[in-house]
Amino acid sequence: MEFLLEIMTEELPSSHVRGALVQLEERFSQEMNAAGLKPGSLKMLGTCRRLVLLADLGASQPDQEEIVTGPPRSAGLAPDGSFTKAASGFARSHGLDVDNLQLIKTARGEYLGFKRLKKGKSTPEILIEKLPAIIASLSFPKTMRWADKSFRFSRPVKSLLCLFNGEVVPVSFEGLVASNKTSGHFIHSPEVITVNNYQEYYQDLKNNFVLVDPAERKSRILDQFEEKLAGLKAEIYPDERLLERLLWNIECPLVIMGSFPDSYLTLPLEVLSTAMREGQELFSVVKGKKQLPCFLGIADAPSDPKNYIVTGNERVLKARLEDARFFWENDLRIGLPERVKQLSGVVFQEKLGSYADKVLRLQELVAYISERLGFRNLKKDLIEAARLSKADLLTEMVREFPGLQGKVGGLYAQRQGWPETVNRAIYEHYLPESWEDQLPDSTAGAILSIADKLDTMVGISGTGCTISGSSDPYGLRRSALGVARIILNKKFHLSIRRLIDKSVALLAKKLTLPEEQVKIACLGLMEGRLRFIFEKNGYSYDLINAALAPGLDYLDYVEARIKALSSLKSSKNFERFILMVKRVKNILKDTPKAKLDPARLVDKEEKELYSALKIIKKNAEKMMAEGDFAGAQKIIFRLQPPLNNFFDRVLVMAENKKIRNNRLALLAQVQSLIDQLADYSQIVLSSENS
Amino acid sequence: MSMQSLFLGLSDFWAKQGCYLAPTYDLEVGAGTMTPDTFFRVLGRKPWRVAYVQPSRRPTDGRYGENPHRVQKHFQFQVIIKPSPLNIQRIYLDSLVSLGINLAEHDLRFDEDDWESPTIGAWGVGWQVMLDGLEITQFTYFQQAGGLELFPVSVEITYGLERLEMFLEQKDNIYNLKWSDDVTYRHLRFREEKEFSIYNFEQADINMLQSSFAAAEKEAQRLISQQLLLPAYDFCLKCSHLFNLLDARKAISVTERVKMIGQIRILVNQIARLYVDQEGEN
Repeated sequence: MEFLLEIMTEELPSSHVRGALVQLEERFSQEMNAAGLKPGSLKMLGTCRRLVLLADLGASQPDQEEIVTGPPRSAGLAPDGSFTKAASGFARSHGLDVDNLQLIKTARGEYLGFKRLKKGKSTPEILIEKLPAIIASLSFPKTMRWADKSFRFSRPVKSLLCLFNGEVVPVSFEGLVASNKTSGHFIHSPEVITVNNYQEYYQDLKNNFVLVDPAERKSRILDQFEEKLAGLKAEIYPDERLLERLLWNIECPLVIMGSFPDSYLTLPLEVLSTAMREGQELFSVVKGKKQLPCFLGIADAPSDPKNYIVTGNERVLKARLEDARFFWENDLRIGLPERVKQLSGVVFQEKLGSYADKVLRLQELVAYISERLGFRNLKKDLIEAARLSKADLLTEMVREFPGLQGKVGGLYAQRQGWPETVNRAIYEHYLPESWEDQLPDSTAGAILSIADKLDTMVGISGTGCTISGSSDPYGLRRSALGVARIILNKKFHLSIRRLIDKSVALLAKKLTLPEEQVKIACLGLMEGRLRFIFEKNGYSYDLINAALAPGLDYLDYVEARIKALSSLKSSKNFERFILMVKRVKNILKDTPKAKLDPARLVDKEEKELYSALKIIKKNAEKMMAEGDFAGAQKIIFRLQPPLNNFFDRVLVMAENKKIRNNRLALLAQVQSLIDQLADYSQIVLSSENS
Repeated sequence: MSMQSLFLGLSDFWAKQGCYLAPTYDLEVGAGTMTPDTFFRVLGRKPWRVAYVQPSRRPTDGRYGENPHRVQKHFQFQVIIKPSPLNIQRIYLDSLVSLGINLAEHDLRFDEDDWESPTIGAWGVGWQVMLDGLEITQFTYFQQAGGLELFPVSVEITYGLERLEMFLEQKDNIYNLKWSDDVTYRHLRFREEKEFSIYNFEQADINMLQSSFAAAEKEAQRLISQQLLLPAYDFCLKCSHLFNLLDARKAISVTERVKMIGQIRILVNQIARLYVDQEGEN
């Protein structure tokens, strides 16, 4: 039977709406399942003004058998087996004949008692009982109080609609009682609407300018975008985040198109699109990679009969572009080197000093990285880019639009005549700022970005700032993730350990924690982010664990290890190999280390294993040193036949202690070779699962 | 429409909602929130309804009269109601309708925008109200002031009068607004903007401002120890304005900024605590 819940609120921030819907779905299905109501076909809908849950629920809880216990056996039954007074008293108090009592075994011993059928509660009863706590349990990144209530929520709650099978369920919540009433668009149709089921709810809201289904809003928006852009053969400068935000902020989407004077097209696309997005939430329109003098916006209105919405937005945008041009022209009057001098007055972080200090460290770091990677030709430009990289923090443009940092610095460098390598490096050095964000494209940009993020990660970790759960004020995780993604993307063969050492050495006295501790913390951060990347790329936990076990240094090698594991995992050979590795590991468990003496190898099979191992080890280690982990893996598979024979014919646990230890030492050598590739014992085999 | 009819229209509307129309406060403030009619009255449990026009000075926003929409002094219409009425959004929309805006022809949005003023230890949750892409109002449920949790919660509605008037007159340039039927904004304010921009950015004597700041801070401290809270608060407001002038002169480094704001906040928080204690006694 249909259940419909609508929580109407004042405008929730769009990120809060999404979070609340996820939680509401989770808690609701948890509670209903716990109550035995098995909710079906759950659907979450809503806008910034309403959180909506639609589900299928049974009419009531199933009836349950209930056991009622009375006196313990010793008190209830006389030695001759007849019922005592206590027993008959208990039976009478439940309106039963004493003969109906039976012995019931419990954890505490045997008791006299009886079983009865407990009628399940009706669904509305359960809803009335559970819903207030479910709603109150929703959590938000920031909450508020209002009026004279002590209750906290993201924004004030205005009303509740709660229907089960067409009937109102009068749930009480913070002074509100649920009804069958809602209201349409807050401006275009604010009257009260009475509904009896979801179909009516959906349709009446639609008639009153509210599309309650986000998927429907999205397709309406995309259709209208297409319609507006068709004639221009142009497209939207992509901005998924803005679209997502507006999707929830708007109940009745209307795409509008406006224009601005051509004269502002002298501003770069980055500045124009930022000026449009920030504050006014407009999309810029591009053809090829060039900005057209027009924009698209999404209004919350059924139509724009007098064109007021378009002209209003045009007027505001023009003022904003005027400001942006003022900043752009003013900023360009001061050379970046001039601004660099002022960086000593801008604090990077209290304990780590100013941006002038940071820039000096970045210059050292990019020089180091470019040498390590063999990009000596880039070194000079990189040092210059590092020197200028933070100058734009002092520009009016970045003060107004912080999101343009780096990009606008690169653009100013370009206008002021620096080489393209320098400009690109500055432009790209904050990338990537999120998982969705682009990575630096140029090599110099990638190197400067690694240096910048590494310095932040090491410096901040070294001042004792720790991250916990959602709290990561300096973006340590983001920095570590950026470093890892760039290194993998650019296939840089770079020792992350030595890189961290270098950065620690540069920060030296500024770090408040012991250097070793800082290094461990940073490696831990890197490992965590690498796991995250591999998970996102679809690798399973066991493969990730296996590939990370040999240790973290060259990230490209870690990736090669996991790729090798993953490509071989499906082969039949692999499974047998893993079982064998696990067997070796088991035998070696708790055995002392011993030195292998080849002269003491007695049996043919152990001699054969030893000679195979020598050849395979030589070849495999050479391949690993070159990063060919797939090749190394294939070669190591060849250990299988001699190892098989060894296990079949040779008694490892020989009575002679010296021979026994020598055989264990041989197996230990096998294992130490294998361990360089991966910890195969982590891998979960399908045969083990079942 | 004119600025004047806007003042009158909003005053009339909110007076009918039971608000007391307060006279403009006679000190330089950065926002209507800072005047005693808001700051002291949102503290404690007593209900309060007030509306007033307050000139707000933001020295760094000066543009020598050359920018069509930025000025170092603008006018706010400030409404405070405690406790916040449950239908306050609807009342607010009605106030726009009372100004002759037919909302059905426009796009009006409440966009997430939380407000905070570290100087007076205050923050709140709410929105900026956007009308066809123009921010016309800041709408805030006060959660804290003077470092104290507020109960009951007040709602603050701050209309940006020039913005709203530009919308109503459909003008691109602030100086072309009408103040009354025959006086323009340019007529009243252009020279003031120009001269104050020169003063704020170029002429304000940094040493004098710094020593005045120190003197005002000291006086506020002394007055707090005398339990003269309203005068003490006035001196905090003076500190805040002197700070803003120093900022416009770029005479404050990032670390000093945090320190100076912290100094003012400590005083304001003391004042708030003492005020609540005293009011509680009465």
